[in-house]
This record gives sequence, structure tokens and C-alpha cells, in this order.
Amino acid sequence: MHKAKQVLVIDDDGDFRESIRPLLENRGYLVIEASSGKEGLRKLIEFKPDVIVLDIMMECLEEGYGVNQAIKFKEAFAEYRSIPIIMVSSIHETPRERYPRAGEVDMIEPDCYLTKPLDLPRFLEVLDRLSKARA
Amino acid sequence: MRESAGLEQIVVIDDDYAMRLSCLQALSKLGLHVETCEDGAKGLNSVARLKPDLVLVDLKMPGISGMEVISRIHEIDPIIVIIVITGYATIGTAVDAMKAGAYDFLPKPFKPDELRMIVGRSLQHRRLLLESRRLEMERELLKRRFITFVSHQLKTPLTAIHQYLDVLRNLGDTVEVRAKSNEWLDRCLKRTKEMREIVDDWLTLSRMEGGMLSRQRVKVDLKPIVLNVLKTYREMEEANDVTLVPQLPGDSCLVRGDHNCLSVLFDNLIANAIKYNKPGGQVTVSAEMGDGEVVIAVHDTGVGIPREHKDYLFDEFFRVRGQGHTATTGTGLGLPICKRIVRESGGTIEVESEVGVGSTFRVRLPAYNAQDTNENQKGDPGDFGAEDDIDH
Repeated sequence: MHKAKQVLVIDDDGDFRESIRPLLENRGYLVIEASSGKEGLRKLIEFKPDVIVLDIMMECLEEGYGVNQAIKFKEAFAEYRSIPIIMVSSIHETPRERYPRAGEVDMIEPDCYLTKPLDLPRFLEVLDRLSKARA
Repeated sequence: MRESAGLEQIVVIDDDYAMRLSCLQALSKLGLHVETCEDGAKGLNSVARLKPDLVLVDLKMPGISGMEVISRIHEIDPIIVIIVITGYATIGTAVDAMKAGAYDFLPKPFKPDELRMIVGRSLQHRRLLLESRRLEMERELLKRRFITFVSHQLKTPLTAIHQYLDVLRNLGDTVEVRAKSNEWLDRCLKRTKEMREIVDDWLTLSRMEGGMLSRQRVKVDLKPIVLNVLKTYREMEEANDVTLVPQLPGDSCLVRGDHNCLSVLFDNLIANAIKYNKPGGQVTVSAEMGDGEVVIAVHDTGVGIPREHKDYLFDEFFRVRGQGHTATTGTGLGLPICKRIVRESGGTIEVESEVGVGSTFRVRLPAYNAQDTNENQKGDPGDFGAEDDIDH
């Protein structure tokens, strides 16, 4: 039997987490929620999810970039490095457009960037694809 | 960049050496930084490099003409003030020069005092131009910040609402969805309320920007205002857990100001004191007469304000976040509105706070003094509500 894939949703907006939870559960995912970057990193270690959905603007401005950077580059998170990250934000520019200087953007660029409100079919398609790639 | 910050700078462009020298001497005495040039090309170089406050230009020079120099200077910076120097024979040209953008003209020959007078007047003009440019830039910056703010504060609830509706549609009609939909609709309504509050606050703020709200400075009794606000919140559910305690003097608390503005002020302060309180907490509003002023303190036993946030508290769009604050939403405009009302009423506002213990917002307003005014008492809005019998 297949073990259900786990999605870690890191977003400070409770309404965002609340609204996508049944959507993901319907799709057969197990949803883990975190309302801040710090909580997100804690739950990452605790659950080792298959895919991460990460907001940018949280308690600290652009907190999501920092979380992405920590997971992808910090030695302490080495074993979680390969977990795909879908960054979601109402900022229309991608990190690459927002921070065009090379070097900088490599640290914050996620595996996939989607704008809010989410295009739901696309979001689910990306989620399925990225989490399957890890199977 | 300015080579000597603060010092006003002048460039003199004249082909006549004696003229340059006398300008230099006369103007240096005024403590101005003066640079002289013998032709238009060199003069324009200096202007581009120095970005001076004022340029004196001779109209009749070999090379680039004085008229040409005037328009080129204003291409460099349209608010550089230009005075043309001209012989009697070319008064007509001087008028043309002023049409082309020169501020004033000085006929030759002139005495040092005449030069100093006209330069003094022109620099005055320059300061006004600089001030209005500064204000313009400030407005521009605020506008830009405002747009950034719109994209965050307003988009967040809008996105949440959109997503709820979209997910509801996407999930289709199932039992679990039906169970959720009522709760979700409630949340959507809550978020639209949040957006409405933001828009309302903007409108208040922009009305105040136009000076609409606080033009009136009349006799106002703060006592009924404060009691009214407390009464309103006591009747609202939100304050159920918090005790509201007025500690006001027996007689009236008269200040000079605008009734509506002061109502908004205390409404905001008391609403904050309730919102950022702890369950079972208390809000105390006290007033006392000081030296020519009335001091009103709104004290809460709430979560308090971290010291590092205190400086930004009255900034537009700032909202305290951190421990105990996470669940609270707000427009981020309440305290800026308070600050503006207090300032326009000629008062001050300050805050004392300790994290986990509570905060006190202290407002000082100029006391109303019957002697120093002969204003028309007819229809004085300050009497509004003074007879209202409010039990507390």
C-alpha cells in the first residue's frame, strides 16, 4: 500500500491554509500546517514531508526567501535539501525578476513559483509532479 | 553633490572681469559660496557640477548667448533661480529673458547693496521652491508607499476570499464541503469587513490630509466624548472580557479642537486598548488638568509594545507583531490618524509600555480658556453631548 504523500504548508494566513487543506486532502495528501518560517522548519524536521508549499511575506518581511535559503543551502538541513519547494505569493514578480543580481537569486529561487490566488488545477498538477519525482 | 553643505551657492557668468570681481566681493560678504565664470560654456559646466541655488547671467556675452544659457540652466534643474544682468540698452531683452524663465533682472551699473538685495530676495524665492519640491517628493514617496501598502494589505484578504470561493467551486458539492461552506462564508465576510475598515481609515486619513476634519478649533468637552466611546464598546461583544474604567474629573474637561476629530482619536485609542488587551484585562481612561493643558491617559493591561517597535508605532501602515499579537488584524492606520489629530489640535501624544504588563497612551491637548478667545459660541459643537446623561 502506498503511503500518503505529506505536504507541509507554511503560510501565516490561516485562511490560505484552511482553504487549500480539503483540496489537498481530496487529492490524497496528508497536510501539515505551519504559520511561520520557524514553525515550518521545525515541522520539516519532525515530519520530513514530500513537498513544501511556502509563502513569502510572513511575520518577517520576505521570510519565505529565508526559509527556502535555509533548506537549500544550510548544512543543518542537508538531508531535506532535495524536498521540492513550491513558493506561493501574491507578489507577481518571480524571485529572479525581483532580485535580478546573480548569486543573490540562486539562494532564494524555489523549485516552482506560483502567484496567489492560486490557479488550482495548475497548483495540483505541479504538486503531483514534484512530489512524484521524489518517489 | 554639494561641496559645502548648507551654504547657498551662486554662479556668476559674465565676460566682464571687473563685474565678476565685484559680484564675488559683494556676495561673499553675505556668506555665500560664489563661483565666477567668464563665458556661457564654462558657466554651464559649473552649473552642472555645482547645482547652485542661484545663477547671475550677463545677457551680452561672446559665445553662447545669455538667453541660451538661461534655457540650458533650466534643463539642468528647473528650480535654479536665475537673475539676468543687463545694461540699460537691453531692458527689452531682459523682459524676454524673464519670459524665458529668469526670475529677476539687474540693470548695470548697480551698487553692491542693490545686488545683495536682489540676490537676497531671489534666494528667498529659491528656498520656497526647494520647500515645495521637498513636499512634492514627500507626497510622491507617500503615494508610492501607499501603492505598496495597497498591494499587500488589501490583496491579502482579497486573495483569501478568492481562494475560498475557488476551492468551494473546485471541490464540488460534497457533504464535507457543505459542512465547511458556512464557516468559510463567515470567514469571507470577516475578511471583507477587514477590507472595508482599511478603506474607511484611508478615507479618514485623506480627508485629514485635505484639512477637512480638523479645521475647527472650538470649545470641546472631552468627558462626554470619552464616555460615549466607552459606552459603545461596552455594548459591543469584543469588549466582553475587558473592564472599561473611566477616571474623569467631576466637572468638564474643556479643550480646543474639533469634536468629530477628538471622537475619532479616543475611539482609536480605546479600541486599541481593548484589542491588545488580555482576557480579564482592564482599560482605564483618566483625565487631569495640567498647566494650560488637559492630559488624558488611556491605559491598558495588555500585551504591551516591544521597545524596538515604539519608534514606528505612529508610522503609517506599521503594525506591532510578535508575541501575543499574531491573531490581531488591523489597518495599520489607527495610530497615524491619532498622531495627526493630536498634532492638528496643537497637542502631543506619547506612549509608555512594558511587554506583558500593558501600555499607556498619553495625550496632551491645549486647555480651553474662555479669556483668550472671542469666538462665536452659537452652535458650538463643543457643547454637543455635554448634557447627555451617560451612566457608567
